[in-house]
Amino acid sequence: MSDQNDPMAEIRASFFIECEELLEALQDGLSEMDEGSEDPETINVVFRAVHSIKGGAGAFGLEPLVRFAHRYETVLDEVRSGRLSPDHEGQKLFFQAADHLSDLVRACRDDATVPEDQSQALLDQLNGLLGEQEEDTEVTPEEFEPLGLSLDLPDLDALPAPALTTYTIRFKPEAELYETGNEPQMLLRNLGELGEAQVSCDTSALPSLAELSPETPYVAWTIRLQTAAAEPEIREVFEFVEGLCELTISDASDTEESPPAETLPDAPATIALAGPATDPVEPEEAAAPSPDTPRKSGSGAAAKSVVRVDLERIERLVNLVGELVINQAMLSQSLEQAGLSPHSDAMNGLEEFQRLTRDIQDSVMMIRAQPVKSLFQRMSRIVREASAAVGKEVRLVTEGEATEVDKTVIERLADPLTHMIRNAVDHGLENNEARASSGKPSEGTVRLTAAHRSGRVIIEVSDDGSGIDRPRVLKIATEKGLVPPDVQMTEAEIDNLLFMPGFSTAGKVSNLSGRGVGMDVVRTAIQSLGGRINIFSERGKGTTFSISLPLTLAVLDGMVVRVANETLVLPLNVVVETLSLGPGDVQMLRPGAFVVRVRGGFVPLYDLGVILGYRGPLQDHDRGIVLLIALEDGNRAALVIDGIEDQRQVVIKGLDESFYRAPGIAAATILGDGQIALILDPSDVIASAGSIRPKDRALAERMVEHG
Amino acid sequence: MSDALLLPPRLDLPAAAPLAQAFRERLGADIAVDASQVTHLGALCLQVLLSAAITARRRGHALRLIAISDRAAQQLAQMGFTPDTLAEGTP
Repeated sequence: MSDQNDPMAEIRASFFIECEELLEALQDGLSEMDEGSEDPETINVVFRAVHSIKGGAGAFGLEPLVRFAHRYETVLDEVRSGRLSPDHEGQKLFFQAADHLSDLVRACRDDATVPEDQSQALLDQLNGLLGEQEEDTEVTPEEFEPLGLSLDLPDLDALPAPALTTYTIRFKPEAELYETGNEPQMLLRNLGELGEAQVSCDTSALPSLAELSPETPYVAWTIRLQTAAAEPEIREVFEFVEGLCELTISDASDTEESPPAETLPDAPATIALAGPATDPVEPEEAAAPSPDTPRKSGSGAAAKSVVRVDLERIERLVNLVGELVINQAMLSQSLEQAGLSPHSDAMNGLEEFQRLTRDIQDSVMMIRAQPVKSLFQRMSRIVREASAAVGKEVRLVTEGEATEVDKTVIERLADPLTHMIRNAVDHGLENNEARASSGKPSEGTVRLTAAHRSGRVIIEVSDDGSGIDRPRVLKIATEKGLVPPDVQMTEAEIDNLLFMPGFSTAGKVSNLSGRGVGMDVVRTAIQSLGGRINIFSERGKGTTFSISLPLTLAVLDGMVVRVANETLVLPLNVVVETLSLGPGDVQMLRPGAFVVRVRGGFVPLYDLGVILGYRGPLQDHDRGIVLLIALEDGNRAALVIDGIEDQRQVVIKGLDESFYRAPGIAAATILGDGQIALILDPSDVIASAGSIRPKDRALAERMVEHG
Repeated sequence: MSDALLLPPRLDLPAAAPLAQAFRERLGADIAVDASQVTHLGALCLQVLLSAAITARRRGHALRLIAISDRAAQQLAQMGFTPDTLAEGTP
């Protein structure tokens, strides 16, 4: 992170954090515009986002960013003032420009090389938009907005305007104002939009041409503004140039002449707010911030107030709470051992303590939670780029953007989701002709949804394409030797072949996917987050990939079990059922491979003690205890254990890299008695056992299904 | 009198210095300015125009705006000028 000793670096870092927020607001606004929002506030938000980025970038001397943002902003300003209404292509360009802007922000942040060529190409396109529009407005000048501005019209005061206040605004730009790409003319125009403005320019300081330095500001303006707006609104016009100009705003309703000379940075809002405040503004809105920290404006008043906290501090808090949970478990265990009555005050107090710990833990986890919105916005960019690359018209529909997920999960989801979205666009959706011939709208739809469902987060990527061509998938898998040629497979099993390493259905390698990184990588990434991924596909209707993730990576609802006197923890969500074995329940498929009868069907049986190397194979499974486990691929497996101890929340403690990465061991936890227990990843355990061949599993599963 | 000085479409910060130079070269005579192509008139270039107008007057010459685009006129008005007051160099 930033160097603690360098205040500038800190401000810079906070600027880039701010940029992320602004870029998010920009994306939101553009999407709203794209959906046909007529709300003038939308374009204002978009404009201000770009403007704020430009302002901040100027303060840090990020030249390429300023240049690009400036032109982008100019075009947006045309839209804002109603002189330009972007068509579909224009909107696309705006999105591209926003994407590029975020590239530039990131490049500047990471001191990476700025993609100048791309900047130039987009700038040319943006200019093209401006050029076109200029012709338009020149041939149809009647489309101009009324100017709302008058010069030398003394009878203006006769207007029936009881609620109007007259302000005298003195405004003198400084050189930095121009250097940061701001333009007094625009400020004056925006000011004019607030009401009736009489603008007079003070040219007394202007030297003769010979002495004139063209980039030095000499002139100042005095504006008499008659408006219903309150002073904060006037200040908002100058928000981005605060500190870059001398600005005095005074209520001239009674003191017509000689306004008190005050400059903004020293005396914020000392003038009484005359006239009705049409837009109540929070006190800090009127305070003057340093020019180095451009703020989110306008919508800022309605936005939630937030505090930025270093992630490290949160991590520490999470760890401490973890310790607290462990400690509480220890305490409760020692109280139990002391033989206290469950109705004693101590035990009652402990119960309360437990509840509080759980609440604290949930609250701490909430701190780490973030809406998936930022992730989804990144995906909309992927869709735009991917659809352009393969020449398909694709619309991304997102739902549940407010769903909150652990920050780490969000970060680690970006890659797999990108891959899935690309897949959906490239493989999932048919090309335009195929869509037309099957009677679908030519524009394909990719849906990206997030929702909380029973303590987990479900993220789905679905397309309305042709669905999985199962015979072809099976054929390819057979050709590649991934499955034996004569095997009979269910639809779900065929779908799951997509997740096998080295599988690719794309007939030809497009420039988008088919780079050898397949769905197996996606599945591995999801699994490493403690998640599962499933496919649902209907031929002709589309395919849905559904990811189910735990809410957090820090705690886990676990089942504490005993195997050969070792205590182990299994994630509770994979345990479907617990069984107590009776005589004849276990049957041998072949030596070393057993199946267990579960309600007439058979499930492959694995002995946890043997797989983990704790003990040799059991001679007799009678009266053994078995956990029925749901695997990611929809199959089931039975794990033989010695006993179940408890079901409880455990705090996940990562195992240091220096430990040998043992297959099947996901992490560790500390139990109430201070003992360390390993947390298992059941599917990894079973994969490492690997004794059941797919053929056997298919056989066993079918026995279950038909049984 | 020389030909009218045709102003470029964008009169923003980068345009200010070249514009001042162009005026300096024409100070010996009446200056005719053609602002018909202007789509953006920024304050810095306004300063140059004003200074040129004042300087020309002091030297006994005139600066005339022979054409101005609607956009430029509008932007001029927003900054408190009309084409006439601009040519006179007085607000």
